[in-house]
Amino acid sequence: MSGTESPSAVRKVVVHLRATGDAPILKQAKFKIPGTDKFAKVIDFLRRQLHRDTLFVYVNSAFSPNPDESVIDLYNSPWHIMLFIGVLNDLGVAFI
Amino acid sequence: MDVGSWDGTISWRDFNVAAGELAERWKRSKHAFPPWTWVVPSPKRHLGFSSNQIDGYLALERLRLTGSTEKDTPLQEDSCEVTQVEKEETTFFEEDEAVDTATLVESIEVGVHNYDFHIAYSASYRVPVLFFRAYKIDGQPLVLEEIEKDLPASSAKGLLESKWTFITQEDHPYLNRPWCKLHPCGTSEWMKLLFQSDTSMANNGVAIELYIVSWLSVVGQVFGLRIPSELLDCP
Repeated sequence: MSGTESPSAVRKVVVHLRATGDAPILKQAKFKIPGTDKFAKVIDFLRRQLHRDTLFVYVNSAFSPNPDESVIDLYNSPWHIMLFIGVLNDLGVAFI
Repeated sequence: MDVGSWDGTISWRDFNVAAGELAERWKRSKHAFPPWTWVVPSPKRHLGFSSNQIDGYLALERLRLTGSTEKDTPLQEDSCEVTQVEKEETTFFEEDEAVDTATLVESIEVGVHNYDFHIAYSASYRVPVLFFRAYKIDGQPLVLEEIEKDLPASSAKGLLESKWTFITQEDHPYLNRPWCKLHPCGTSEWMKLLFQSDTSMANNGVAIELYIVSWLSVVGQVFGLRIPSELLDCP
């Protein structure tokens, strides 16, 4: 986990992704993201990668974090940020 | 209950158990929200059900949604990056990500409004349903268009685009007055998806008593509610 060119020593968090339901599987299943980023950023990124507007993103423990939550807070929570992406066919959970 | 064969719905009895669990955990966790309380309707006002001793719904009232006050100072919002683990040099946002304004912008003009939330059981969909209403500090009720302006930008967009998050207006099942409701037609499908993630359930089956906690983590986002994470901790 290198510091790269981050201006301050921002702690980075490794996010594991797992597709459930009919969600397409990403080639890259692990990503590193600055802890200060909001969860919304992860969701936006996944939407673009998968070209789907209606992703259902949640963590292990059957919980869907608020997009405004910081990634580092999720990491420090009991879930340890294993992310799940689901796609609901016709139905969309687009606010996530 | 086995997750694989489960259809994402719960029985009325499970709803009762899960409602009690939410109220209890909500009370124990450290946050500034008002409590969830179980409301037993008076029999004469409620004609739809046969006499059931535990009939009722969960209520959280006078929650103040201001839209803009709880916003944190954004930390280096535009310098953030996401890098792939195996390829350190790649960043996701290198070309098209100069500005990120999308979901976190909230209107400052939005006034302070009180929200009442009721969670009732839908016998036809066999899932919880969120009923809500909003009013100004002086008690004047908000119309749906005003409520929609209160919602975070991300959910307002979702409400327009998705097929299940739409708000309808209909009579409250117990109060017989018009309330807003989040339509439950997709609930069982995404609840099933949500519960597939919990690895502990592979052994123990669906933790049905946490159903409403999990459900609220999703529907609460329509209103920008942050559900405290300790609600999921073991008791």
